[in-house]
Amino acid sequence: MPDTETAFQITDEMRAQIGIESEPWTYEVTTTSVRMYARGIGSEDPIHYDVDFAKQQGFRSIVAPLGYIGTPVYLPGSNDPTFGFPRRASGPHLNIPFKGLLDGGTETEYFDVICAGDVLEETSHLADLKLREGARPMLFITNESVYKDKATGKVVAKQRLTSIHM
Amino acid sequence: MTHQVFFEDVHEGDEIPQLRKNCSTQQLVLWAAASGDFYQIHYDKDFAQATGLKGLIVHGALKNAFLAQLLHDWIGEGGQVRRFGCSYRGMDEPGQDILCRGVVTKTYTRDGKHYVDLDVWTERPDGKRTSPGTATVTLPGRG
Amino acid sequence: MAQQAYFEDVEVGQQLPPIKITPDKQQLVKFAAGSGDFNPLHFDEKFPMLKPMGLTENIVHGRFKYAQVGRAVFAFAGYKGRVKRFGVSYRGMDLLNREITVGGVVTAKREENGEHLVDLDVWTEDAEGKKTTPGTAVVALPKRGS
Repeated sequence: MPDTETAFQITDEMRAQIGIESEPWTYEVTTTSVRMYARGIGSEDPIHYDVDFAKQQGFRSIVAPLGYIGTPVYLPGSNDPTFGFPRRASGPHLNIPFKGLLDGGTETEYFDVICAGDVLEETSHLADLKLREGARPMLFITNESVYKDKATGKVVAKQRLTSIHM
Repeated sequence: MTHQVFFEDVHEGDEIPQLRKNCSTQQLVLWAAASGDFYQIHYDKDFAQATGLKGLIVHGALKNAFLAQLLHDWIGEGGQVRRFGCSYRGMDEPGQDILCRGVVTKTYTRDGKHYVDLDVWTERPDGKRTSPGTATVTLPGRG
Repeated sequence: MAQQAYFEDVEVGQQLPPIKITPDKQQLVKFAAGSGDFNPLHFDEKFPMLKPMGLTENIVHGRFKYAQVGRAVFAFAGYKGRVKRFGVSYRGMDLLNREITVGGVVTAKREENGEHLVDLDVWTEDAEGKKTTPGTAVVALPKRGS
């Protein structure tokens, strides 16, 4: 194991990145995208497919399955071609010496139901840094995204994604 | 791409600029997502082989879309694709070049519009034309 | 969709009806389409990143398992319930064409700011019974006659 990895410590400089907010990005929730996501998870609940049925149940339109908070607008050169997420100029920057990357966890907090037709503005920030020391140190990075309804300005959801670097 | 081709500069027998493609499996999955065609012969090797294919194959409709892109890139902002189509006569594999080509077969003016007919096709590295077709476009005239 | 659950009828220790799913490659390609995550790790057996990760097969997206937990929580909440929060950690990988079972159990009931909340432990379990995606959820349920 190279020294740079065994000696890795979270620095004050890294900690200073916590809370720095990125520029906003637009996420769209459309009838087609909600249906595709619902098919992607194998759900056949009509609440995700049938607009009339969803309206009868009191929703604005078909309901986004839990965990789906829209698709980021894709602009060639501005989004990651594999994952689709925006590559933003502003926001936290960390130099991470580890090569391995694992998905650590996902957590979503809802303040409203997300439905087709919603256009959301997302900003993200670094929420937490944790180091698990040991023979193979693991750096846990948690990013939090806050999603606002563009029409009302209300926060509708927050999502925290933890990645494990080792 | 901003360079405009004009009707007067186009002649029967001219070849239009080629478009070279090479599809990764990821590209085929992106096409499945875009088109809604999730048939497994395009990304599941075991499935493809169980149906008697040698391996994964490129969607015919994707090659059709590549030919549309070939025409779109050539005609510029001032041109319009009036009609295009191709048939699927051979298979292409991911990871192998697909050369999109077109040759002008006829130029004519009717009702003040400048028409160009073309033969278009996709070509495998072995020279086989896997998606032969035809197209009609209109181009602006000079002045 | 099952019948609407009401706060009064829910008991601590109550299990969620299990959801079973055996994701094949087509299912994961559809999930790639729905989620926008086109990482070939999940569908391309020749993807060069498999080997350095010690894998010989494609693996299921963590977010796919999260969404399965979401299905179970959403079904529990019913159309009149509201999911306040749900989260999981990814503790183990699942391979394609293996059965995944989603489970959950009610751990607490409480009232907060006029809402009737139910706490849940949730998870996905692989064919060997290993909980590869443990987590928790909070759901607000309606009361009868409200």
